[in-house]
Amino acid sequence: MTMIDTDDRPSGLWRDAWRRLRRNRLAVAGLFIIFGVVLVAVIGPWLSPYDFLSQNLDVRNQPPSASHWLGTDDLGRDVLARLMFGARTAFLVAIGVTVTAVFIGVSLGAVAGFFGGPFDRFVMWFTDITMSVPQLLLVVVINASLKQPISQWMEARYIETLNPIYRNSTLIDFVLVFGSMALISWPAYARLVRAQVLSVRNRPYVTAARALGLTNRIILTRYVLPNAMGPLIVAVSAGLGTAMVLESAFSFLGVGVTPPTPSWGNMISDGLRVWTNYPHLLVAPAAVLAVVTVAFNFLGDGLNDALNPKGQK
Amino acid sequence: MTALLEIRGLTIDIARDEGPARVVDGIDLTVMAGESLGIVGESGCGKSLTMLSLVGLLPNRIRATAGSAMFGGKDLLKMTPGALRRVRGSEIGFIFQDPMTSLNPVIRIGDQIAEALIYQKGMTKPQAAIRAVELLALVGIPAPEDRAQAWPHELSGGMRQRVMIAMGLAGHPKLLIADEPTTALDVTIQAQIVDLVRDLKTRLNMSVVWITHDLALIAGLADRIAVLYAGTVVEDAPVAEIFDRPTHPYTRALLDSLPTLAGEAMSRLPSITGTPPEPGRRPPGCPFAPRCPLAQPACSDAVPKLAPVPGSDPRHRVACPIVIERAVA
Ligand SMILES: Nc1ncnc2c1ncn2[C@@H]1O[C@H](COP(=O)(O)OP(=O)(O)OP(=O)(O)O)[C@@H](O)[C@H]1O
Ligand SMILES: [Mg+2]
Repeated sequence: MTMIDTDDRPSGLWRDAWRRLRRNRLAVAGLFIIFGVVLVAVIGPWLSPYDFLSQNLDVRNQPPSASHWLGTDDLGRDVLARLMFGARTAFLVAIGVTVTAVFIGVSLGAVAGFFGGPFDRFVMWFTDITMSVPQLLLVVVINASLKQPISQWMEARYIETLNPIYRNSTLIDFVLVFGSMALISWPAYARLVRAQVLSVRNRPYVTAARALGLTNRIILTRYVLPNAMGPLIVAVSAGLGTAMVLESAFSFLGVGVTPPTPSWGNMISDGLRVWTNYPHLLVAPAAVLAVVTVAFNFLGDGLNDALNPKGQK
Repeated sequence: MTALLEIRGLTIDIARDEGPARVVDGIDLTVMAGESLGIVGESGCGKSLTMLSLVGLLPNRIRATAGSAMFGGKDLLKMTPGALRRVRGSEIGFIFQDPMTSLNPVIRIGDQIAEALIYQKGMTKPQAAIRAVELLALVGIPAPEDRAQAWPHELSGGMRQRVMIAMGLAGHPKLLIADEPTTALDVTIQAQIVDLVRDLKTRLNMSVVWITHDLALIAGLADRIAVLYAGTVVEDAPVAEIFDRPTHPYTRALLDSLPTLAGEAMSRLPSITGTPPEPGRRPPGCPFAPRCPLAQPACSDAVPKLAPVPGSDPRHRVACPIVIERAVA
């Protein structure tokens, strides 16, 4: 024994993983891109001289120039400003959906795996059913059937209270997109966590914790879950990327975030109609989406290798 | 001396698709207050399951199906899971075989001990932190304050086993059950751990049950030794009697194999052929009969009961009518 460290990082295991991750160039590149886009999403719209909604019909469909770096769209709106706000949409949806799905998935999967029995069978049955429904179909059905009644209810509340929050149609979009996407995303997390918990719950230190008379709640939250987290972190990183692509896909199809709120998906959708004349309107959002998705995948792969060093060839 | 733990007729079955397989068949064991009992026997003879059954830690599909285990006036086998949980740690402490994997890798040593104290004893965080350092000092860990800040992977196997002992002692148990706690350690470290437990046992006035493959290792620790074979106790005697006057043919075979390296010796018994029966495939009558040099046809008729050996210490009991007859003659 030479040194005892007293720093506050969660553990030596995580520190080793972090060191391995830093050595992986693609993962570091992915991390940088993601940080960059997050930064742009947070502060970009404040720095931009243009508002993402303000139209200027004198400068419609302009190619990139010194005053509009990525040009303007068919209503004369600045494409860069819209892209930056689209990054907000993308990250908000990705984070919101992933947090919700992870919360549901981890709770159900952990309890099911730890205690087993009828609850476990019920959860597995439920995940199987959810996973067997085509995702796109489910989201379309939810949007189609709920959007109308929710909008009417909000309108009624607005008339009653005059609170402007009920006038916000973006809010409805977000709630529906969050809800429906979380609904289709949680089963994957539940299965993953359940499998991890099944393998961790019989480790010697869990038996030792039982022999100490600790309660199931403590054993699950302090002994089992923290040691079952590695694969979940990888899955969350990949899941954030997937959620962004899904959001774009749904917005592209018109069942996600609706105009005029910018989303990369609805920008691609708009750009696609005029791409032969104004290719920049398609290329800009599509390229950003592709780069960010690839960045998440690099990070996910890097995390996977960093957390499972033995898993490498 | 009063009895702290009295196990009578303990029977444990594994539920299998083909039907239940018996692994422990009517074990009787007594642990006196302040006594240390050594339990020896080949791998798979049911030593661990017997002890785990006492505190409700049997694996899935394995159940104690008969018998009783009186501890402090209550039958452990009839307690509710909640009551058993409170017995664990605070009245019966456990130490397990593998110190390398028996500590949670994501919690610092000191916090791990302190958490047990907080959740078991309702201590406050600062109280528990102080007590954790005291416990580390008690089990002979140098610089306990620094070590309390260490992660499990930063300690050697012997140090980790000391930490495990500190955790086992955290709740002031009356009985400490050590399930092969030194098997995974170097020979020199093994002796240190044995010394430590012997010392703690007197200081804290506990009883100790020490499970091992290695008779020689516990000769200096145990007051009494119970020899298990295929889920039954075949001989139970004060430690000196076991070494001076081993009576059961299986105990003799164990002692004959002693001079070879500890640990290796028990995997195969050079002086006897064959292997112990698999669970669920025990022969009728005496389970040792198929390998026994003294076996007679009558051995397969009934399972022999423990009975005192004539002309020895009255606590010396053996489950073999043939050797008892010889002792009388
Ligand atoms: N989880 C389990 N599932 C099925 N069978 C088991 C399980 N645990 C133990 N057994 C069986 O029960 C029997 C007794 O096991 P036990 O662990 O009590 O033996 P032991 O005497 O402690 O052996 P060792 O010296 O190897 O620790 C063994 O034959 C074993 O195969
Ligand atoms: Mg064992």
